[in-house]
Amino acid sequence: MIGVSDLSAGYGAIRAVRGVTLELGEGELVTVLGANGAGKSSLMLTIAGALKPTSGRVSFDGRDVTSASPERMVRLGLSMVPETRDVFPDLTVAENLRLGAYIRRKEVDAVQADLEKMYEMFPRLKERQHQAGGTLSGGEQQMLVIARAMMSAPKALLLDEPSLGLSPTLVDQIFQMIVELKDQGLSILLVEQNATKALQIADRAYVLRLGEIAAEGSASEIAASSNLHSLYLGG
Amino acid sequence: MTGFIQFIIDFLSLGGAYALMALGLVIVYGILKLVNFAYGELIMVAGYTLFLVGGTGMPWIIMAIVAIAMSVLMGIATDYVAFRPVRAKSVTAVLITSFAFSTLLQNGALLFISPRPRNIPLPEIFTKTVEIAGVVTPVRNLLTIATAVISLSLFTWLMRRSVIGIAMRAAATNFTMARMLGVPANLIITSAFAISGLLAGIVSMFWLGRIGAVVPGIGLEPLLIAFIATVIGGMRSLLGAVVGGFLLAFIDTGLNYTLPQDLLKFRDAFTFSLVILILLWRPEGLMKGPASGQRT
Amino acid sequence: MKRHFLTLGILIGLVALLVVSVEIADVRLLTRIAINLCIMLVLVLGLQVFMGNSGILSFAHIGFMGVGAYTSSMLTIPLQMRGMALPDLYPVFAELLVSPYLAILLGGLVAAGVAAAVSFPLMRLSDAAAVITSFALLVVLHTIMQHWSEVTNGPRTLFGIPKATTLFLAAAVAAVAIVAALAFKESRFGILLRATRDDEVAAAALGANIPKIRWIAFIISALFAGIGGALWGHFVTSFAPKAFYLKETFVVLGMLVIGGPRTVTGAVLGVFIVTVVFESLRALEGAINQAQIFSEQVVGVTEIALSLAMIAVLVFRPGGLLATREAGDMILRRSENKGTK
Repeated sequence: MIGVSDLSAGYGAIRAVRGVTLELGEGELVTVLGANGAGKSSLMLTIAGALKPTSGRVSFDGRDVTSASPERMVRLGLSMVPETRDVFPDLTVAENLRLGAYIRRKEVDAVQADLEKMYEMFPRLKERQHQAGGTLSGGEQQMLVIARAMMSAPKALLLDEPSLGLSPTLVDQIFQMIVELKDQGLSILLVEQNATKALQIADRAYVLRLGEIAAEGSASEIAASSNLHSLYLGG
Repeated sequence: MTGFIQFIIDFLSLGGAYALMALGLVIVYGILKLVNFAYGELIMVAGYTLFLVGGTGMPWIIMAIVAIAMSVLMGIATDYVAFRPVRAKSVTAVLITSFAFSTLLQNGALLFISPRPRNIPLPEIFTKTVEIAGVVTPVRNLLTIATAVISLSLFTWLMRRSVIGIAMRAAATNFTMARMLGVPANLIITSAFAISGLLAGIVSMFWLGRIGAVVPGIGLEPLLIAFIATVIGGMRSLLGAVVGGFLLAFIDTGLNYTLPQDLLKFRDAFTFSLVILILLWRPEGLMKGPASGQRT
Repeated sequence: MKRHFLTLGILIGLVALLVVSVEIADVRLLTRIAINLCIMLVLVLGLQVFMGNSGILSFAHIGFMGVGAYTSSMLTIPLQMRGMALPDLYPVFAELLVSPYLAILLGGLVAAGVAAAVSFPLMRLSDAAAVITSFALLVVLHTIMQHWSEVTNGPRTLFGIPKATTLFLAAAVAAVAIVAALAFKESRFGILLRATRDDEVAAAALGANIPKIRWIAFIISALFAGIGGALWGHFVTSFAPKAFYLKETFVVLGMLVIGGPRTVTGAVLGVFIVTVVFESLRALEGAINQAQIFSEQVVGVTEIALSLAMIAVLVFRPGGLLATREAGDMILRRSENKGTK
């Protein structure tokens, strides 16, 4: 689904991503782990088209999308939920969701049906549908941005640290939801600091350290690996 | 009592004009976080268009539509000439390029048309007056109020109900995130400039109607009005622009009525002092904008 | 430290070179252009002090130039002429005659005082709001100059100002301005201010009182503007309020932007380059009008050319032609490289 080959990207003099190669197969849930500053978010942003790579290639669903714009990526079927959560604070929940379906805005009935589906999956959002996005709690905002990302009917989802700042119960809920999404056929690339939980639900994992892949393998392999700690602390 | 009604009519018609001017400026600033110094020239362009088509004998309303259309086109052109090439570089760069573009346009008019005022055609109805509750006032004032109300309502509807309006509001808060939902960046920006041109074009019909002629520097006063109204209203809020516009009109009209004759020529200095006081009290403007917007 | 002296040496040397060549040539037109250039140096360096270090664009600068010019004029117009030039001048000033040199200094101080009084609220505004408000301040200063007839003779031309600005005076003041601008830039204030330009939050965490620092820079910049304005007044000997408005703002801004606002060298270079281009275009425009190639007078071409140049510079070299380094830095860096390689 997603193929990244020797990708490098950064911000001016700072090279955040250095020659990363990874893959996300169709229907897989792959997690990208690593300490703060390891380059995970930058990697996601580059795949999603929000950050221009300096070298390397990105392919999505068989197409080369290395220099694609974020708008194009959404149209091709990739949705991203950034680490910063980025709810539009003074748009209502309903408006946020409606905007998520921007590329499908002509399919009025299909969009409405998906909206109902989201409300079913996230009943708290339905309760608050006319409230401004900025008034929601952290957990509700996280649900909102995931639901919003789903509104474009994507084939693949990039999730950047969905558990950030949430209580353990909420984290479990969110992860439960992610598994449900995977069961529905979505391919998911999950960036997480909470390595344990991420490895519990993932098929495979990569560990990023200082912008480079330091380890990769099946989730169980990585979980069993005793190097995980040093990889984290070293990065 | 008649004095009061006179004041209300003056205040509302000026306020409507000011609010539209301010709105045209803020809609671009809100999304791009960039100030358009060439905004006043949209009014100049509308004026000169009226002058140029003035001899063709078309009904005035057609001429007005043509003038407004030119304003819209010039708004879009401003984006391509002054903004797009430098948008990514720095905020200051854009301020300067739009200032340079403004000078370019003004000197263009100076060179290719004339530095002297040129008369513009006005509809008959602008010369008529009407009496309301004992107060005689130009019909134009009432038309300004009506047009402002209609324009503001349509604009609000557009922003709140249409998908493009929601997309623009989202882009104003967080452009990158809007793009990551598939909202096409360039379309949003072009729409913002087009709407900016439309609002400026509409206001210019009444503004020029008051003056009756056009000069290259005619855009300066509206630019200043839009500037001040947006600053006191709060730069990132559309409602703030409208509130700022009416507040500024209130101050100006009020000063017109209360300043002694020999101080009247300093009215702008007084207005500005009051504005400074408002800013001292509330540096971010009167209305809170959307929570932290980020630049493109 | 060495690089600062090197920078000063180069820049002041440039001014000295200008003075010497113009004196030798002894052509009145060239002397006039040179004096203008030196006055522009004072003005542009003043703008650089605020804009280059704080990153905020200020449109009010030329307004303060006017304040300086009118203040100085009011105090120096010979008493016999004063009744005609400023018939309504307040009695307390009507008999007050001051040496032009003192008057020029007072012009600067009054401008700085006005800036101090009016501008503090502006310093707390966000960047865009500050720029816009500075623009409004320019308009207000202009309105006051246009209508305060007692002091400015209203929108009419004020005449009778003694011609005290010689090439040497202008050049000397320009040299002082160069030193002062560089001194400010490299002082604790300047460095702190530049830190706020790059990252407000971090600078505040370092203890920088951002509004206050900006305010001080603004006052100093107005001081330069006032002195420059007074110098100019004593050079042209008659002027009107419209000399302190948008066109001049545009030229000063253009010089700074094209040269590069972040460095003193950039400011100086901008003045030289734009003056050369401007005067050439002006001469060309004059020749075209003289030769009557077009049926009407050609006017505004210079401004159009300057606008296009500014846009071009900003598109291709957004930091100006000399984006980051002072002259001294560039030379030392090169010689260092030669040494180590």
